[in-house]
Amino acid sequence: MEQKKGYCFTAIVGQEDMKTALILNVINPGLGGVLIRGEKGTAKSTAVRALAELLPLREEVKGCRFGCDPADEAHLCDECRERLEKGEELETVYRPMRVIDLPVSATEDRVVGTLDMEYAIRTGRKKFEEGILARANRNILYVDEINLLDDHVVDVLLDSAAMGVNTVEREGVSYSHPAAFILAGTMNPEEGDLRPQLIDRFGLSVTVAGEHDVRRRVEVLRNRLKYENDPEGFAKEYEPKQQELRERILAAQKRLSRVVYSQEIMELIARICIQLEVDGHRADIMMLKTAMTLASYNGKTRVEKEEVMQAACLVLPHRMRRKPFEEAGFDLSLVEEMMN
Amino acid sequence: MKRVVFPFAAVPGQEKAKNALLWNLVNPKVGGVLLSGEKGTAKSTLARGLAVITDGQKVVELPLNVTEDRLVGAVDFSRALLDGQSVLEPGILMEADGNILYADEVNLLSDFAVNALLEAAASGRNVVEREGISCAHDSRFVLIGSMNPEEGKLRPQLLDRFGLYVEVEGEKDVSMRVEIMRRRLQFEQDPQGFLRRWEGETLRLKKKVLKARELLPEVSVTENVRNLAASLAADAGCCGHRGEIAVVEAARAAAALGGRKLPNTEDIREAAKYALAHRAGGCPSVVSPVSPGNDDSEKDGEQEENAGKSRSPEDGAKEQDQELSSESGQGENGADTQNPAASETGKNPEDGRNGPGQEEESKAQRNGSGKASGWNDSADRAGEAMDDDGDLQEGGETFLIPRWQEAAAVRKICQGSGRRNLIRSKDRQGRYVRYRPAGEEKISDLAFDATLRAAAPFQNVRDKRDCAVAIRRGDMRIKIREKRTGGCILFVVDASASMGANRRMREVKAAVLSLLNFSYQKRDRVGMIAFRKDRAELLLGITRSVELAQKKLENLPTGGKTPLAAGLNLAFEVVMGLKTREPEADPVIVLVSDGRASGKKEKNSSPFAEALRVAERIGNRKIRAVILDTESGFIKFHLCDRLNEKMRGTVVTMEELRAEGIVEAVRGSG
Repeated sequence: MEQKKGYCFTAIVGQEDMKTALILNVINPGLGGVLIRGEKGTAKSTAVRALAELLPLREEVKGCRFGCDPADEAHLCDECRERLEKGEELETVYRPMRVIDLPVSATEDRVVGTLDMEYAIRTGRKKFEEGILARANRNILYVDEINLLDDHVVDVLLDSAAMGVNTVEREGVSYSHPAAFILAGTMNPEEGDLRPQLIDRFGLSVTVAGEHDVRRRVEVLRNRLKYENDPEGFAKEYEPKQQELRERILAAQKRLSRVVYSQEIMELIARICIQLEVDGHRADIMMLKTAMTLASYNGKTRVEKEEVMQAACLVLPHRMRRKPFEEAGFDLSLVEEMMN
Repeated sequence: MKRVVFPFAAVPGQEKAKNALLWNLVNPKVGGVLLSGEKGTAKSTLARGLAVITDGQKVVELPLNVTEDRLVGAVDFSRALLDGQSVLEPGILMEADGNILYADEVNLLSDFAVNALLEAAASGRNVVEREGISCAHDSRFVLIGSMNPEEGKLRPQLLDRFGLYVEVEGEKDVSMRVEIMRRRLQFEQDPQGFLRRWEGETLRLKKKVLKARELLPEVSVTENVRNLAASLAADAGCCGHRGEIAVVEAARAAAALGGRKLPNTEDIREAAKYALAHRAGGCPSVVSPVSPGNDDSEKDGEQEENAGKSRSPEDGAKEQDQELSSESGQGENGADTQNPAASETGKNPEDGRNGPGQEEESKAQRNGSGKASGWNDSADRAGEAMDDDGDLQEGGETFLIPRWQEAAAVRKICQGSGRRNLIRSKDRQGRYVRYRPAGEEKISDLAFDATLRAAAPFQNVRDKRDCAVAIRRGDMRIKIREKRTGGCILFVVDASASMGANRRMREVKAAVLSLLNFSYQKRDRVGMIAFRKDRAELLLGITRSVELAQKKLENLPTGGKTPLAAGLNLAFEVVMGLKTREPEADPVIVLVSDGRASGKKEKNSSPFAEALRVAERIGNRKIRAVILDTESGFIKFHLCDRLNEKMRGTVVTMEELRAEGIVEAVRGSG
């Protein structure tokens, strides 16, 4: 079955925070994913899928179960490394970035991988059968309603996300493989929150809401109908915009390593985090990295206050130490005050 | 897969944690260290970074989702199938021998893993006795654990196993935080280059550790040192001798690192800071209640028994010391003998469920006495009609969270609120930790690895047809899964006119909100039913969103008659529905009422008699129940006691709560 052409990322109306957060993660996969909070029907899933489709193809080791990047020797899986050490040439193919879904019902062995039963019965030997985390390597792992996942599944998920490696010591197998993915989780806060420990592992968070402006709503509707009637034509219409964004992202990826930051910027970030009493140091580090990525996305090679400001809005809200029953107390004005 | 680890030497600050870790490297007799603290404070980074400053020791990680076979070892089914040999495939406990065993989020480990860990830590050996394999091997390791106390508590037995305990905090100094950012980013941008830059420092540290190790045998302990350690331990209220042993050994390590052959007073005091805090009388925030539920206690007993059996006579003087100390201190019964801390908790079963409250307390203090301003509004609204002479003040009442845990009355409530710990999961959800033979039942959750291991020894005598393995019914193993659940509380609140008319409602709301707050921290699920006028209403189905319950309660209208029976009946239905959907759920009904019932009279039955009938149904089904008796005034009817005779639950009065400072007004700023 031929797949229907996906929706265009650039045709999504509004939801700027979410779009930015996703783009930043693509530019710099070290940002640790994004948690999207909000009600249903706010283009969360559409945006994630559309972004993957926007991106150009990239190189993968042919036949590798983990889609290793041949250019990134430090993060090759054991199998690719072995081949390399034997002097084999790693053949490559070009494939798009994919969105791997992790359903709420997923069991732990499906997520982390397990013993390959069929192989064991046929041959009597052990083999690691890869799970969802293996497929997610170098891709986007999309977890709808992450707050409804079993706690222990979330544990392993975030552990892998943080380390970029999935370690399996269970069911007769002992194995570890690269699992560096962009984690995109969604949740509806009304259905209960994630544990603070887990929420902290998400680099960025955004809150999405349905569009309330009538004209914008009409635009959303019009775009959608246009797309459903003629996906091909729709794609063609948006291709210039898509191309522009694609190039902007690629340029930002290249520029990222040249982005610099001053002592003052770091001090500002540290002061903000101390003032807001966030736990630990992850927020500082994330804020600096996000600000750098933003600068790069904005075509700059130097982090300035405005990037710190914008980064604060993405990095801090979900890290505020919450008092029970109070709305998460992120006070932007406090940050603004400190800026000046 | 190898991963590049942030160098230990490059971690800025965190001197306490670093000291404790280094002491353990120098002197394994220190007995390991537990790092406890908020997220993002380099706990794991430090632990993982240890490897590079040791002489070839590894940091073996214990993943949270480890299964039993990988932890203790099991028969290698592949060898068994292909070569017909019964060979042990070593588990993590063997790999850890002579190395460092690091358990991240040690407070979230499965019970079985904790048991296995305790057994190995106690005896220094791991015994594998299963699937036709019978062997034992050394398993001596430095145990390093890290945890975030927000996530849950640690079993006292396990806590006591850690020689040292360090609370890790984030740096509050700007320049320090800047340095942390700088180094982290440098590391991420060029890991190899970063490692090279820190090679010198790493090498220096490594040499220091090696030198200290060489010196250690010469570091002697005088009688004075021993006495000082003992008196410090006694002052701190430690039971057992493990504390002072840890002090002495840590002080020796500290002296060795400092190049001294005799520990000085400073070494001892420093060591005592880390070695005694978690053993001192009221243990710190990290201890969990003894696992509730019969299964667990049985298991504990069994485990300790095994531990006793497996201990070989030549197990070293240190162990003997500990044995002696615990034996002299305690009786001789089962699980408690080895463990002062455990029996401490065990003495008072009421302590069991909710554990010490220091953590919440300190958190509450940090938060500015745990005040939640959102509550005030509701209380105001509810209390508009009331006078102000009592112990409740307008605008600003709230309840300190920690009181909930100290107070006996609250313990009663929270004890009722179900098992807040690991439970055996009967559906296919939860973490697969071990297995059992399938027996006659229909198999839906096959533990394939275990099945293969069970079948392996018989392959040479079975007809395998085209497969490599022949599996028979008797080989089948089923997964045992564990699931971590919070409790489940269904509030049934009287919202009739009598409640709204006086200030009782205000107190009640505040008390329930305090309970909700407690649930919030425990990740309980809650639901809420209100009854007034002519019916009961499910305001909130069972949900994890405690916030929603709070909102519903705030906006709870009052007035009308008191259809108590309808309220209880609805509660009964909700609970039964939940039990059908989730057999392992163990909800508790918290009835908030003065026991009075009013409303239409049925033929020859009063509304209260009707309520008694429903109460009896609840009691018969063994549904847990707590009645928060709001009856006040001089003349009391003690209707709640009569209800409770039928419900077979617990009654807690507002007076009890008040007496224990739970319903206590705290004047707010406004």
